[in-house]
Amino acid sequence: MLLMLEEQHKKHLSFLTSVEIDVVREFCRISIEFIRKGANPKVYQGASQKLGVSVETVQNGVEGLMYLLTESSKLMVNEIDFQDSIMTLGFSEGLRQELLELYVQSRHEVRCILSEMAMDLPHYHNLEWRFDVEVASRSLRHQTTPKILLKLHTEDSGKKEVKVLQTDPVNLVHLTNVLDGALQEMKSAYCRRIVRNIK
Amino acid sequence: MDLSSPTLEDLALAGDSVHVPDDVFSVLVKKLFDGINDGNERNISFLSENDRYKNVDKAAVKQAYGGLVTMVTEAAKNDMEIESLSSLLEDCKFSGDRIAALSKAFLQHKPQIQILLNSIGNPPPHIVDIDWRLDYYIKNNHMDKVNEPVYLVSLKTEEAGKPGLQEVQLSCSLEQLQDLVGKLKDATKCLEKDGTVIIYTFQLFNTIFDEYEVPRIAVSLHGQNGAYIDIKTHIFNT
Repeated sequence: MLLMLEEQHKKHLSFLTSVEIDVVREFCRISIEFIRKGANPKVYQGASQKLGVSVETVQNGVEGLMYLLTESSKLMVNEIDFQDSIMTLGFSEGLRQELLELYVQSRHEVRCILSEMAMDLPHYHNLEWRFDVEVASRSLRHQTTPKILLKLHTEDSGKKEVKVLQTDPVNLVHLTNVLDGALQEMKSAYCRRIVRNIK
Repeated sequence: MDLSSPTLEDLALAGDSVHVPDDVFSVLVKKLFDGINDGNERNISFLSENDRYKNVDKAAVKQAYGGLVTMVTEAAKNDMEIESLSSLLEDCKFSGDRIAALSKAFLQHKPQIQILLNSIGNPPPHIVDIDWRLDYYIKNNHMDKVNEPVYLVSLKTEEAGKPGLQEVQLSCSLEQLQDLVGKLKDATKCLEKDGTVIIYTFQLFNTIFDEYEVPRIAVSLHGQNGAYIDIKTHIFNT
């Protein structure tokens, strides 16, 4: 799948063709840094003075690179398609290689960052269990009631939550069987076919 | 089993055929167990609904009813033997027929009453069922080609003081569900192997302890380490 670059985006990136490759490397480093930690406008000022261009041009260049990297990581563009996509930008062979290397190296990390931004549901984190036998209570003496106490740890966007639940042996077996069935479902021919076709 | 003296007085009233005639007593016994099982049946309105009972002393029957309910619930709570129940009733001047009728009804309803007594308390939500749904997560607004299965699991729980079923919802990736099922299987295995032995030992212990009036013990078998058994003594009956 090819990346469709907008005219404005191309214009912003075209600045990179006019500078030394070392400068482009520096721009790439800054872009990745900004994707990781957020933008720091002070850096633009320093670079613009050094290069003798406007702050806006530097900012557009860096942001253009950031956008290029996040878009291609988002779509998981493969290496050949990435190269073909940036062909239209009029970069030199060396610069294209530089960008490709950067993309391949940072692709995984950028996707991790993107996946953190995606919406999250409360998800399973851990389960602790304990087997108790209740032998007496205020309202009923002389009992032997087996109980399984469960401590369910869930996590929602980094926020951890703990729930204490209980169940009895019959329901525990039922629970286990139903969830085991759910696991087996993923191995069924139907699910495998779906997985194979959505690639 | 120790009953307070007002309760014993009320019971004596129930055994007294002058205040509670035989025909009223038999209805009262039926009403007694109906009332324990169903809150709407907790009254002695049958006395005013039938002209036959118009000469009956309602206050005395009400008192007798109260005494019988206390006695029956206390007896179920302590899992009382029929012999000791009979001797208690004899002390309260019950006739042989009344003792037999009450004992028979008590034996018949005891399991149900004990289930009710067991449900009193404020335990954590009790899981009674589970639903799941399998989704294939394809993309989101930040990322394409996520392509991984996601299970949405909903645990149905019963909670003290809340009507109907409550839900605990969570999502699991394939690996997370494998982890969850693995842990549940560990727990199930532990029940099959050690659990039955422990419960059996317990029942044995408790019978021995009953004889010597030793404080009861609580055992818990911890998860994670599987075989680790922790025996603590707790004084439940003080």
